[in-house]
Amino acid sequence: MRARTANRSALAVSATLVAIPLLVAIFGPLVKLHAKPGLPYERGARLGTDGLGRDVLELLLVGGRTALGMALGAVVVAYLVGGVIGLVAASTRHRWIDEALIRPLDVLLPLPSLLVISVVAVGWRASPPAITLAVAMVNVPTVARLVRAAALDAASGPVVEALRMQRESWVGIHLGHVGRAVLGPVAADLGTRITLAVFLVASVNFLGLGLSPTAPDWAVSVSRNREGVLLQPWAVIAPAMMLVAFTLGFNLLADRLVHRSKQLAEAQR
Amino acid sequence: MRSYAAQRAALAVVQLAVLSVLVFVLTALLPGDAADMRFTETLTPDQVARLRSQLGLDEPAVERFSHWLGDVLTGDLGTSMISGGPVLDIVKSSVGATLVLTLATLAVVIPLAVALGLVMGTRENGRLDRTITSITLALSAIPDFVIAVVLVTLFSLKLGWLPATWVGGDLLASPALLVLPVAVLLGRTVCLLSRQVRAGTINALNADYVVQARRLGVPRRQLLLRHVLPNAAVPGVQELARTGDTLLGGVLVVEAIFAIPGFATALVDGVETRDVPVVQGLTLVLAVAALVINLGADLVCNRLVPRTELLR
Repeated sequence: MRARTANRSALAVSATLVAIPLLVAIFGPLVKLHAKPGLPYERGARLGTDGLGRDVLELLLVGGRTALGMALGAVVVAYLVGGVIGLVAASTRHRWIDEALIRPLDVLLPLPSLLVISVVAVGWRASPPAITLAVAMVNVPTVARLVRAAALDAASGPVVEALRMQRESWVGIHLGHVGRAVLGPVAADLGTRITLAVFLVASVNFLGLGLSPTAPDWAVSVSRNREGVLLQPWAVIAPAMMLVAFTLGFNLLADRLVHRSKQLAEAQR
Repeated sequence: MRSYAAQRAALAVVQLAVLSVLVFVLTALLPGDAADMRFTETLTPDQVARLRSQLGLDEPAVERFSHWLGDVLTGDLGTSMISGGPVLDIVKSSVGATLVLTLATLAVVIPLAVALGLVMGTRENGRLDRTITSITLALSAIPDFVIAVVLVTLFSLKLGWLPATWVGGDLLASPALLVLPVAVLLGRTVCLLSRQVRAGTINALNADYVVQARRLGVPRRQLLLRHVLPNAAVPGVQELARTGDTLLGGVLVVEAIFAIPGFATALVDGVETRDVPVVQGLTLVLAVAALVINLGADLVCNRLVPRTELLR
C-alpha cells in the first residue's frame, strides 16, 4: 500500500515537472506583460532584466516555443519517416526491400549527430524548420531500426500465424496486431528520444549555431546571460530550470514506461 | 571470429565511402561559399568572382569532389580557404586538446561506470541500487551546458578554486584545467553506461550458467569478475560506442564554454567561415574515428560473447 502511494506521488511529481514548461511554452506567448525595457542585469520585482535590459519573465514566456517546439516537431518527423521505413521493412515478404531500406541506415548510424546538425544550422542560420529537420533526420536511423525490430518480433509470433490462417486481411493483421504490438516499445522510446531531441536543439542553440543570439529561446538565454550570472542569476536560472524540469520529468516518465512494458512482457511469458 | 571481423571491416569501408560523399554534399549544399563570406564588404562582385575561380569554387561539384577524393587518398586534406595553410596542420594542432579531454574523461568514466553498474546490479532493487539509479537518472536529464554553467559559477566565479577557461593556460603546467571540463563530460556518460552495465549484470546473474556455477560453489568474487562481468560488459561496450556520439556533443559544448582550442572549436570556426576544405577534413577525421570506435566495439563484443551476429 505504501509503495503504491509513493509510486503515485512520483508520477505526480514527474507529470508536474513536464507540465510546467509545456504549459509555459504553449500559453506563455499569449500572456502580455507590457514590461518596459530597463538597465542590463537589473534585479527588479519579478525576475529582473537580462543583459539587454529586457524583462526576464517576458522572455521566459515566449522562449519555450522554439526550445520545446523544435524538439517535439523533430521527434514527430523522425517517427513519421523512421516508423514507416521500419514497419515496411518488417512487414514486407521480399527480403531485398527490407535490405534496401535498412542497410543505408546502418551506414548513417555512426555519423556524429551534433556535427550534422551544426553544419545544417549554420548553413541555414536562424531557420527553425531547417534545424528541426536536421534533428529529425539524425533520429531516423535509430527509430527505423527500433520499429523494425519491434514489428518483426510481433510479426513472426504465433498470433500472426493464427490470424493468417483465419484469413484475416493483410491490413487487419498489420495495423491491428503488429501496429499495436509496436506501440509499447515506441512509447518507451519516445520519452528518451524527446529528451535527446530537446538536448540536441538546446545544445545547438546554446553554441550559437542555431537561432540568433538575441532570440528569447531558453537555451539561447542561458548562453547569452551566463556572463552576468553573478549580477542577475535569474536570467540564467529561470530558463535553465524550464529546460531541466522538462527533460527531467520526461526522463522519469520514460523510465516508468520502460519498467511497465518490461513487467508486461514478463507477465505475458 | 575471423569471418565476422572481415565482414564487419567490409561494412566499415562501405560506410566510410558513403560518409565521404555525404560530408562533401552536406558542405557543398551550404548556402554561400568562402568567397562570399570573406570579402562581401571590401571587394567588388567582379573581384569576388575572380577569387572564386582562384579557389576552384566555380568548377562543377562532381569535379571538385573527385579532386578532393584523389587528394585525400594520397593523404592530402587540402588547404584552408581562409588561412591558406594545409588542413592537415589544423587537424594536428586541434586534435591534441580534444584527445586529452576525451581520454581523461574515458579514464574516469569506464571504471566508475563498471563499478557502479556492478554495485547496482548485484543489489537489484535494494536501497543502494534505487538511490544510485535515481541519482544517475536525474543527472542524465540535465543538459551538459547547464551543468557546465552551474559548475563554472560555483567553483570558478564564486569559490575561485578552479580555472574557468583555457585561455592563457598550459595544460602541462596546470592539470587543474581539466577538472571542470571532465566533470561536465562525466555526468551523462557515466549515467548511460552504468545503467547498461547494471542491466547486463542482472541478466547475467539470472542466467542458468551463473546459477549452476553458484551451485558448484564458485567463490562470489570469481563468479562476478570471471563469469558475470564479460557478459554484463557487452551492452556496456555497445553503449560506449554509442556514447561516443553523446561525448562528442558534450566535447563541442565543453570546448565552447571553456575556450578550449580543440577539434570542435576548429570545426565551428570552419563552418562559420564556409571554409569547406577545413570542414570536410575535420568531419572526415571525426567520421573515421566514429567508424573505428564502432568497429572496435563490435569486435570486442564478438570476442566477449562470440555468438553475436553481424548487425542483426
